[in-house]
Amino acid sequence: MEDLGKQLSTLLMVAWLLPFFGFCIEVFGGYFKWRLTKTAAYIAVGCIGVGFLCSVVAFMQWGNATDWVVFESHEGEHHVSADHDEAAKSHDEHGAKHDEHAKEHEHGEEHADEHGEKAEGAHDSHGGHAKPAVQTAFSGQIYHLARFGELDISIDYYIDSLTLGMFMMVTLIATCIHVFAIGYMSDELTESYEDHFVHTSDGGHFKRPGRFYRFFSYMSLFCFSMLGLVLAGNIFQVFVFWELVGICSFLLIGFYVERKSASTAANKAFIVNRVGDFGFIIGLMILWTSCGTFRFDNYEDHHGHEQPGLFQMVRGNDGHVTQDGDAVVLKDVHGEPLTDASGSTKTIPYMLLVAAGLGVFCGCVGKSAQFPLQTWLPDAMEGPTPVSALVHSATMVAAGVYLAGRFFPMFLPEVLLTIAYVGCVTLFVAATIAVVATDIKRVLAYSTISQLGYMMLGIGVGGWGAGLFHLITHAFFKSLMFLCSGSVIHGCHHEQEMPKMGGLWKKMPVTAFTMLVGVIAIAGLAIPGTSIAFSGYHSKDAIVATALQFVDDNPVHILLFIVPLVTAGITAFYMFRLWFYTFAGQPRDAHVYEGCHESPSVMCGPLLVLAPFAAWCAIGGEHGKLFSILALSEPASTEVVHASHDIHTAAGSFALVAAILGTLTAYLLYGKTIVDPANIKRQFSGLHTFLVEKWRFDELYDVMFVRPSHVVGKWCAGVDKYIFDEFLHGVVRTGIRVSQWDRKFDEGIIDGLVNLVGNVTFSIGRSLHVFQTGNIRQYVMFIAVGVLMLFALLFAFSFAILA
Amino acid sequence: MNNGFGSLLDRLITETAGSYEGESAWSLEYAAGMFGQFMESSLGHFSPELALCATIVCLLLVRLFGCDKCCQPYWVALFGSLVSFGLAYYQFTDLQQTSQSEEFFTGLLIYDPFTVFFRLFLLLFLILITALTVLSGIPDDEDAPDFYCLLLGSTIGMMLMASANHMLVIFLGVEMTSVPSYVMVGFLKGRRQSSEAALKYVVYGAGAAGVMLYGTSLVAGVLGTASLPEMASRMALLVGEAGTMSDPIVRTVILGIMLVMVGLAFKLSLVPFHFWCPDAFEGASAEVAGFLSVASKAGAFALLVRFCLAFAGNPEGTGTLKEIYLYLGLGLGVIAAASATFGNLAAYSQTNVKRLLAYSTIAHAGYMLMAVSAMMVILNAPAGSLHDPLVDANRCLEGLLYYLFVYLFMNLGAFAVVALIRNQIYSEEVSDYAGLGYQAPVLCVCMGICMFSLVGIPPMGGFFAKLVIFASVFKAGQVHWLMYLILIIGGLNTVFSLVYYVRVLKTMFVDPRHADARRADVPFNSVPGLYAVMVTVPVLVLGIAVKGLSETANQVASVLFR
Repeated sequence: MEDLGKQLSTLLMVAWLLPFFGFCIEVFGGYFKWRLTKTAAYIAVGCIGVGFLCSVVAFMQWGNATDWVVFESHEGEHHVSADHDEAAKSHDEHGAKHDEHAKEHEHGEEHADEHGEKAEGAHDSHGGHAKPAVQTAFSGQIYHLARFGELDISIDYYIDSLTLGMFMMVTLIATCIHVFAIGYMSDELTESYEDHFVHTSDGGHFKRPGRFYRFFSYMSLFCFSMLGLVLAGNIFQVFVFWELVGICSFLLIGFYVERKSASTAANKAFIVNRVGDFGFIIGLMILWTSCGTFRFDNYEDHHGHEQPGLFQMVRGNDGHVTQDGDAVVLKDVHGEPLTDASGSTKTIPYMLLVAAGLGVFCGCVGKSAQFPLQTWLPDAMEGPTPVSALVHSATMVAAGVYLAGRFFPMFLPEVLLTIAYVGCVTLFVAATIAVVATDIKRVLAYSTISQLGYMMLGIGVGGWGAGLFHLITHAFFKSLMFLCSGSVIHGCHHEQEMPKMGGLWKKMPVTAFTMLVGVIAIAGLAIPGTSIAFSGYHSKDAIVATALQFVDDNPVHILLFIVPLVTAGITAFYMFRLWFYTFAGQPRDAHVYEGCHESPSVMCGPLLVLAPFAAWCAIGGEHGKLFSILALSEPASTEVVHASHDIHTAAGSFALVAAILGTLTAYLLYGKTIVDPANIKRQFSGLHTFLVEKWRFDELYDVMFVRPSHVVGKWCAGVDKYIFDEFLHGVVRTGIRVSQWDRKFDEGIIDGLVNLVGNVTFSIGRSLHVFQTGNIRQYVMFIAVGVLMLFALLFAFSFAILA
Repeated sequence: MNNGFGSLLDRLITETAGSYEGESAWSLEYAAGMFGQFMESSLGHFSPELALCATIVCLLLVRLFGCDKCCQPYWVALFGSLVSFGLAYYQFTDLQQTSQSEEFFTGLLIYDPFTVFFRLFLLLFLILITALTVLSGIPDDEDAPDFYCLLLGSTIGMMLMASANHMLVIFLGVEMTSVPSYVMVGFLKGRRQSSEAALKYVVYGAGAAGVMLYGTSLVAGVLGTASLPEMASRMALLVGEAGTMSDPIVRTVILGIMLVMVGLAFKLSLVPFHFWCPDAFEGASAEVAGFLSVASKAGAFALLVRFCLAFAGNPEGTGTLKEIYLYLGLGLGVIAAASATFGNLAAYSQTNVKRLLAYSTIAHAGYMLMAVSAMMVILNAPAGSLHDPLVDANRCLEGLLYYLFVYLFMNLGAFAVVALIRNQIYSEEVSDYAGLGYQAPVLCVCMGICMFSLVGIPPMGGFFAKLVIFASVFKAGQVHWLMYLILIIGGLNTVFSLVYYVRVLKTMFVDPRHADARRADVPFNSVPGLYAVMVTVPVLVLGIAVKGLSETANQVASVLFR
């Protein structure tokens, strides 16, 4: 098993470091005269492609070495969750299952017993996940960076099925998007790129050398950072790569840096993220001071003792948080209370742990564009579309959700409830804005925010598996849709306004078809009564079901179920609105329509690769393979909630009805146009304006933060100028006066002394010339004189001491 | 053995080191075994010198057969030096494991880490100076083989000095070093000044050699042996522990020792035997001056240390004889202080850079001699006055070795810059350097770094080297108060020396360049520029990362105190 950990970490490290290697080469593209060639793109694609292969190989190896326990254990899990109120029966079934295991495995008896115990434990903890006996998670250290006192800063890895799943997802999508970008960015392959969005003072457009290689070097750097984040084995390392993806995002949003909108958007994204990271840092500091480590998993310290990681400290072996008054008792590797050197039990105040959790979640809010920091993501669409597809929908923004999932054991119920409500607000707000947006990429951006809200909600209500399940499925269909929109934008010569499109499916059938796949997936449509459903249905269903289960247990939080349900309908509505607007109906702008064309195969290829994944990656739903892979890593936490079968069915039906209603409305309004949407717009003009202005968040923040900080800034500048500077000037003037005095003293007395010494030594030096006559006879005489002198000296000395 | 050469080699090795019991077929393993075995023999211990000898023969042959057009002599010399350096390096790594000390060639020479350290030092310097001559082109094509023969020959002499274990070899080494040096000083045949300098050097050298030979014969005659390790015991046998200066035997031996030291003082250009130095340096080319200032000093210091330890290396002894040696050490200290003071003060009014640097080398020889003097004083301290004299003496030698190593780079750097600038502006006068800092910034900055290091300003290597030596002198001050005085003089000298070094730098960087002066264009990425940087960088490195070299020096020095 140790070997397996090594192998996996090596494979994933290759996948992780290859893009960095690529970046190091590509970034010098200008130097290598690659401006007009696609070399950089091929290197980038090669690196990330090999990374994908490595990830798949790692997954296969992991599966083989663990006897594919991932799919077996799912069966057990299913029984537990479905029949959790019939514990005895379930236990019997487990017994039967154990017998099978006993036949299959050599170490059957032990294994079965352990399994049984775990299963029982799972019942007690209300559907907690049954952990298999085979080790499936691996952690270790890659490189030790430094030690400050007791704090180890190292590069660690933590590999479980979630890591492997994320690796495969990220590398696959990134590969597709890289290939797509070869086509999309091809107009950068020039010495003189004309940017039509930047106007020069003479009325022309701004021209600059193409930046094809630079785009790919940034993309490679991003892949490196993202994979590093996923692989990270400690929260500090997560933070480092968190910032790295942040800077990549900044670079990529501001790729067209000459456009004012782009550079502003890049700044906005960066600054808003800083707000979130501020909380993250506070969380880190709390954890470090209270727990003394950043590592997730147990580890060996430099004395060779096994030390508990963060999860073990808080959750112990059984997933329970042990409280002692207002404090949470930290646990050691055996689940016993952890003691420090003096023998007293180490604890952390309950509220502090809540604060730490909220702090880390604050980082997630920034990165995943959750309410109230959601404003940066729509603006981030200023970046090239492949960037939007990779960074701002599929991977980086999902990193917040990933971290929330990874850090789940550290979140106490209060924190989780906050997460749930934040997600709930976000998903609704974003969805309503998406309804009125007309820019094709912005609709997708708001839908991304909304879907991220779903994921957060899922995690917040305890649906750990559901949230991350949606993360993966969403990554596929959203990247697909973004690429499709990229294809549309590319085909329409950078036209992004939907009202100018229409009827495009005739011109670009592949794009239209794959887009439809994505739309159906995100809308969560399915054929009732059969198991035919697209991936979005399964994952959203899982979230809604968990929410319903949660509401069932805590009826106070009824909104947590109602809002996502309604929003499911809105989602279907605005997504189909987008599709009908763009592809169906009659062309609205003849100019755009005429110039429009289907994209080249290098762009359509990735669409066709991603489409099946978007449609079927979640096949089987919560009994399918994808979900079981993720569910295997479910943390041992008492906060995890599993929806019972009945609730599942009910929630599924509700969600489907909502989605179908949304779809129908969209069809009627935009497909059939039975009512002119413009009329509705006029009737609800107040609401419409409110939504178009994005709930006025930007104005609000402007009034609340930006302007006050300008005022404070001016005030500070005034204080600086009129008080501090005056003071300093006074000091300086005094100093000058003192130094003028000092100079007189210096020149008159000190220098005089020094010069005296200098003159004396110099004249001695000159007088030494006398000996150096250049007369050779005299030189030789000096030898004799010297010897005699020395001898006399020595005799004088030795007689002196003898005397 | 299947060929003649093989059997010859085999016999040579078997006769000097016993037979090799390995596979007798020619294979890589056999060759490696043979090589290892060979390196164990006397010839093997002598192999770096042998490699240089072979190179000299090659150089002569190259010219004889007229191949010097196709194969430049400096390539031959450089290759030979590199081979020799490789062999010495092999010996050094080999010895670092065993750290053995072994007499060879019937006790004439000694093979220990100290020897090999100096070999490495000298060969490294040889390589660097050869590279410099290639860059500055000082020997023209006609004379190049001669020049390199002399250079290599002189280096062999220095290596002999470093491994001397016998009075005969001491004399041989000194002469072998000196004779080629005389010729090299006069190598600029067309210049009257050069010939004059060479002549002065020869006559002065001859005088010093005479004195030294006289001293050697006195010591060897009285003690009945010329082998250094036996000196102390013979002396004890002849006069016992309680020998005093009233004893004629003691008096004769001390006179002999002193005369030998006069010979060495000539090589070290110590006051009052330094008169040849400024004239010779001014007459010689900067490359040769650099060579003489570093290499021959290093060899002479190795010799001086061995010679002093032959008599006074035993801290356990008691009696009045020890006291005499203590005063001998103090006498060295006085000479050191005098040299440092004289060198620094006399450098003040020099207008020629080479002459200025000549006085500077006199001063530096003084600083380094302080280490030897402190070692003598510490080793012959009255019993109980020091906690562990061996460790302190070891520290003195460590300081000396460190100083030498830093001195190699900083002095070579300074002379190299002088040579490279001379090639541009055809002048070595300080006044002609005015404003050069803006035309050849690389060279001038390197010069600045080297000079600040010569002064001993941190973080340059010269600072740490001086610090170690001064610390040793301070330690010796606990034995005799005179050493405190010497320490103070040394410290003051550091301040004095600042003046004339900075004067050169001031001329370079502050004074404006005359409009009609020759331009000196040496950009950073030219070969001379890179050479100057390459020589200067170690000065900085040795000032910052001191641990590696100081530990090695300490280890090397420790073999002399066992």
